[in-house]
Amino acid sequence: MIKKKIKIINKLGLHARASSKLTQLASQFNSKIFIIKNNKKVNAKNIMDILMLAASVDSEVEIEANGSDEIEAIKQIEKLFQNYFEEGE
Amino acid sequence: MVSFNIHGVPVSNGIAIGTSHLVSNALLEVVRYDIKNTKIDFEVKRFKKALSVVKNELIKIKKQLVINSNSQFAPFIDTHLMLLSDNNISSEPIDSIINEKCNAEWAIKIQLDLIIDKFNQIEDPYIRERKHDVVQVAERVIKVLLGHQKQKIKFKNESSVILVAQDISPADTLQFKKHKYGAFITEMGGANSHTAILARSLNIPSIVALRNAKKLIKNNDTLIVDGNQGIVIINPSTAILDEYQYKQNLWEIEQKKLIKIRNVRCKTLGNETIKLLANIEVPEDIKSVKENNGDGIGLFRTEFLFMNRTTLPDEEEQFNIYKSVAKSMGNLPVVIRTLDSGADKNISADNNNKNTSALGLRAIRLCLSEPHLFTTQLKAILRASEFGNIRILIPMLSSLQELRQTKMLIERAKQSLKNSKIKFDNKILVGGMIEVPAVAINADMFANELDFLSIGTNDLVQYTLAIDRTDDSVSHLYNSLHSAVLRLIDNTIKAGKKYDKEVSICGEMAGDPKLTKLLLGMGLTNFSMHPTSMLTVKKQVLCSDPKKIKIKAKKILRSIEPDNIESLIQDINK
Repeated sequence: MIKKKIKIINKLGLHARASSKLTQLASQFNSKIFIIKNNKKVNAKNIMDILMLAASVDSEVEIEANGSDEIEAIKQIEKLFQNYFEEGE
Repeated sequence: MVSFNIHGVPVSNGIAIGTSHLVSNALLEVVRYDIKNTKIDFEVKRFKKALSVVKNELIKIKKQLVINSNSQFAPFIDTHLMLLSDNNISSEPIDSIINEKCNAEWAIKIQLDLIIDKFNQIEDPYIRERKHDVVQVAERVIKVLLGHQKQKIKFKNESSVILVAQDISPADTLQFKKHKYGAFITEMGGANSHTAILARSLNIPSIVALRNAKKLIKNNDTLIVDGNQGIVIINPSTAILDEYQYKQNLWEIEQKKLIKIRNVRCKTLGNETIKLLANIEVPEDIKSVKENNGDGIGLFRTEFLFMNRTTLPDEEEQFNIYKSVAKSMGNLPVVIRTLDSGADKNISADNNNKNTSALGLRAIRLCLSEPHLFTTQLKAILRASEFGNIRILIPMLSSLQELRQTKMLIERAKQSLKNSKIKFDNKILVGGMIEVPAVAINADMFANELDFLSIGTNDLVQYTLAIDRTDDSVSHLYNSLHSAVLRLIDNTIKAGKKYDKEVSICGEMAGDPKLTKLLLGMGLTNFSMHPTSMLTVKKQVLCSDPKKIKIKAKKILRSIEPDNIESLIQDINK
C-alpha cells in the first residue's frame, strides 16, 4: 500500500468534471484507491463520494492505493492533479 | 376559493378560459406506496430496468451531440453516466426497496433527498451547485419509472387545457404542435421566446415571464388567460367569468370577420400589390398557408427536420420533404433556409442541454465547418427544385467570404448532380438572411452578390441591441422599434432597391399588424410570417394609403426617442 499527499491546484477544485475524470482514471486500475481529506476516506471509483469531499482549490488530499498496480495508479493520478485535470487552470 | 391575478408579458393574442395543467416536475409527483413481500423482486427489477433505459438515453444523447458538433457537451453527459452508475444512485435505492418495502420511485427520491442534504452542507458554492447534476440524473430515472419520460399528456378536451410550464424549449415545440391546447403560460421567456413563437403559430393566447406561476397555480384551477393584456386570472368569480366569456366571443367574431378578406387581393389603397408569404417549419403547415391564401413560402425552417431524432436525415429523406412542399405550392415560391441550428435551436432530443451561444458556431458557420452535412442538404434542395419554384436562403451570413464559400459549395453540389445526370433548376435563386448588423450595414454589397435578401428581425434585434432572447431578465430591453434596428432595416430595403433585388422580412415584425403600415411606408413589399397572422396583416395593408404612410414612416425613422416612436406608431395606425 502506498500513500501520497497532493495539493489541489486547479481553480474549481474537485468539481463534477474533474471528479468524473478522476473516477474514470481510478476505475482503470485493479488496486483499491481511496481519497482522504480531513479524516474522511472515500472510494476514488465512486464519483458522488468524491464530489461530496468538496475538495476545493488549495486544499490537500491524500491518495491511497493498494494492489498490484498501485505504483502506476498513484503516478497517473498525481499527473492528473498536476495537469489541472486538463482544464488549463 | 380566492381569486387573484398575475401579470406577465403577453406574447400571443386571444382569450382562453380553461383549467390549468402544470407541466410536470417529476420529483413532485412521487408518492410512497408499500410493496408486498412477493413483489419486491419485481420492484428491484423495475428499478434496474429504469437505470438501463436512462443509461441508453444518455448514450444516445452523447452520440447525437457528437454528430451535431456539440461535442463540448459530451463530458457533461459522461458525468451524468457516472453518477447514474454510482452506488448512491444505482444500489442504495435497491437496499431501500428491500428493507423498507417501498416503491422504486420513492426509494430513489429519499436517496436523492439524502444526497441533496449532504451537498447543501458543502461550503464551496461551485461544488454545492453540482447537486443539480445529481437531481437531473435522478429525475430521469424517476420519469422512466413513472412511465412518462417524454411527458406525453393526453386530455379529453384539449382546447380547455391551459398548460403552465417553467419554459418551453424548441425541442418541445414539435411535440406540442400536434395538439390544440387552450393556452400556454410560462414562468420564463420573453416576447420572442420559443413559447411565444409557438403560441402565435398555433394561434392560441400565451403569456410568458409569469414569475412563480407554477407555485401560485395548482393543477385544475380555473384560469382566464387574457393574451391581449397579459393577465392570468386564477379562480375568477362568476361575474368576471361571464365578462370574459363575452370578451372571448367578441374576439372570435373578430377573427371570423377576417376570413371574409381571405380571397381579396392584397394591395394598398394606392393599388400596389403586397406579397404575404408564410414561415413554415414542417410540411403540415402548408394546410394553414392555403387556408389563409398565402403568396408562397417565404421561410421554410429546415432545422426541424433535424430535431428530436438520433440520426441525421439523409439526402433522400430531405429531398422527399422539400419536393412535397415545392409540389404542393405549385408555381408559388418556396424559400428553403439551410440548416440554422445552434444557439437556441440545438438539434437534439434532449431538452436540458446547455445551448450553443447565439454568437457561436451555428447556422452557416456550422454548415461551412461541416461541408458534408451541408452538401447533403444542398443536393436535396437542388434536386427538389426540379419540382417547383424553390429558392435557397442562407442564414446568419456575416461576411462576403462566407457567402462566396457557400456559393462555391452550391456550385459543387450542382456539378455533382450534373455528373450524375440528375435534373435540377440551374438558375435557382440564392438569397441571404440579413440578421447580423454588420451585414445590414453593408447590405448594398450583399445585395450586389445575392439574388434576394430576407431580414430576420428577431436575430437582428438581438444582435443589434445585445439582448439574449432566451434571458427573461433582459427581455424588457428587447425593442424591435429601436431606432438603430429601424435604420438597419431601412438601409437593407434601400440596398435591395438599388440593385433591384427583392427584400422581405421574415422575422416576427412582419407578422405584427401594428408594424405593417410602418414597414409598408419604408418600402417593404414582401412580408413573411406565420400563416395565422396573414389575414390580420392583410387587413392593415388593405387600408394603407401609401402617400400618407410614407411621410409618417420617414418621421419615425428620424425619431430617436422611444416614447416618441411609440406615439408615432399609434399615429400611423390611425
